[in-house]
Amino acid sequence: MDHSHRLTRRTVLRALGGGAGGAAIGSVAGCLDTPRERIDIRETARGGSSGILENPDGPPPVLADQRLHVGHSLVAMESAAVSGGPGVDGIPSVDEPDFQAASEAELDNADPVFGVVRNGVAKAYPQSILVWHEIVNDAFDGEPVAVTYCPLTGTAQGFERGETTFGVSGLLVNSNLIMYDRGTGTRWPQIAATGIEGPLADRSLAEFPVVWSTWGSWRAVHPDTQVLTTDTGYQRRYGSDPYGGYNPPSDYYADDSLLFEPLASSDAAEPKTVVIGARTPDGAIAFNKETLLAGGVMTGKAGGVGFIAVADPALETGYVYRNDEGATVEAAAGGEPGRYTVDGQPAAAAELPLDRLVATDAMFFAWYGFYPEMTYVD
Amino acid sequence: MSTENTLTARIGRPVGRVRRAVGGVLARRDGQVVFVGAVLGYLLLYSVAVGDLARSVTGGVDISVVDQPLSRLFESMGPFQYEPIAFVQLGAVDYLFAPLNAAIGLGLAVLVGLNLAVAYGAWRTPTACGLPASGGTGGVAGLVAGVPALLSGTVCCGPVILLVVSVQATAGLLAVFQWLLPVAVALLVGSLLVASRRVRL
Repeated sequence: MDHSHRLTRRTVLRALGGGAGGAAIGSVAGCLDTPRERIDIRETARGGSSGILENPDGPPPVLADQRLHVGHSLVAMESAAVSGGPGVDGIPSVDEPDFQAASEAELDNADPVFGVVRNGVAKAYPQSILVWHEIVNDAFDGEPVAVTYCPLTGTAQGFERGETTFGVSGLLVNSNLIMYDRGTGTRWPQIAATGIEGPLADRSLAEFPVVWSTWGSWRAVHPDTQVLTTDTGYQRRYGSDPYGGYNPPSDYYADDSLLFEPLASSDAAEPKTVVIGARTPDGAIAFNKETLLAGGVMTGKAGGVGFIAVADPALETGYVYRNDEGATVEAAAGGEPGRYTVDGQPAAAAELPLDRLVATDAMFFAWYGFYPEMTYVD
Repeated sequence: MSTENTLTARIGRPVGRVRRAVGGVLARRDGQVVFVGAVLGYLLLYSVAVGDLARSVTGGVDISVVDQPLSRLFESMGPFQYEPIAFVQLGAVDYLFAPLNAAIGLGLAVLVGLNLAVAYGAWRTPTACGLPASGGTGGVAGLVAGVPALLSGTVCCGPVILLVVSVQATAGLLAVFQWLLPVAVALLVGSLLVASRRVRL
């Protein structure tokens, strides 16, 4: 495992200690590309037995041009963060992922996978593996990315990680995974994708779409897909799930129970109803996924922005677009699944000539908790 | 000097009592059976509670070990829980071998075993000694003292027990979970000291 960018409490304590400390300090400073005296290290006491170190000069993840809308103040989110039990990296990210061909994967067609197509490469990340790791620090044709999953909120999201890696802080807010980047030590709630504490607080991460699909659907659309293997460097009971199951839905994923108190709650939908959520710098919206898959097209408005969602039955997912100009989107004549017309022009669901937003599947309670003023379209 | 003597006596006397009680009970075959049975039973329960032992997902017989077991085994997963370095599939059960978890579990199991064995010894003590036969009470106390550690297991994002009983976690409740194992150790040691006073073998 490459620890060159991993700044842990142990690393720094060792670096600052005696004996071989001089050499260690050199190596830490070197890996951060900063002179030793410029390293500003503050340790937080949060998150269990070990804290997260902050380093404003550390390599940052790739940031979005604009900060995404957040429904609460950063202070409110930071103060609502709780330790779920495991400490920093107690849930270990997969930092050296191993992949196999689709033909070698032992997955059931109905098993959930998180699919990513980037730089001409298609990869599937089985939910049964990510439930134990939550973060995979990967690369697509040399481009460093992190594919992340939070089981308690049912969210799979992708982030451009730059020269750093992401880890699991052990903290949760609104039941949602709080990641930290190992370069600067900033804490990032996954759904908000915005730093709530640390050198990059109030900045948002650059995201890319992750499709929540099933193995059978993903493989049919992407027969050349690679699949993450259980050769993660860790021993886990892969195939079991501490929260329940999706094939078929059971326990936590199917009932109304929440393990942690949400930031806000609403009766507009059952807590675990699956929505497809999107946000811009101005507002947030959520579409009922089941309704979308049944009807094909849904529209809504939030934060002064028009949105349109279309279903992609082949992947059992939906895409969300900005629709500022009020374009008319309809299912294609003849009812061909996943085909639409935009002001009369035909297009595939994933390629409408509109501004496509990064949208993510989420449990209703989780999306509402982060964005209580959101528009919910059901 | 006299203060030191008093302190030594205060610590030495109960420790000596425990040593004598344990020695006496474990010298008997029935005491050994109680001790070994309790150790194995508790170790089994603890392994299940922390998620290391469970019903098999896929079945079959196999064993796999991580690439760097020596560095991995000290990595913490949560309060008093450590990374497994091997995965053993034994037909109907899966066992994740985490050496430090196993060591902690064994330590607790020995304490529980001693408690039960000493309580058994007290129960077998003739009432003619002038002391009430309190083995039953001591045994229950020893068992109860071992319970907090069984609740201390965490998995992924929260304590296992909260997932099982579907109770919403609060920051205060989560903080309590970090102390369950040390509390169990303290209770087990305490109940062993008390139970040892009842043994007259």
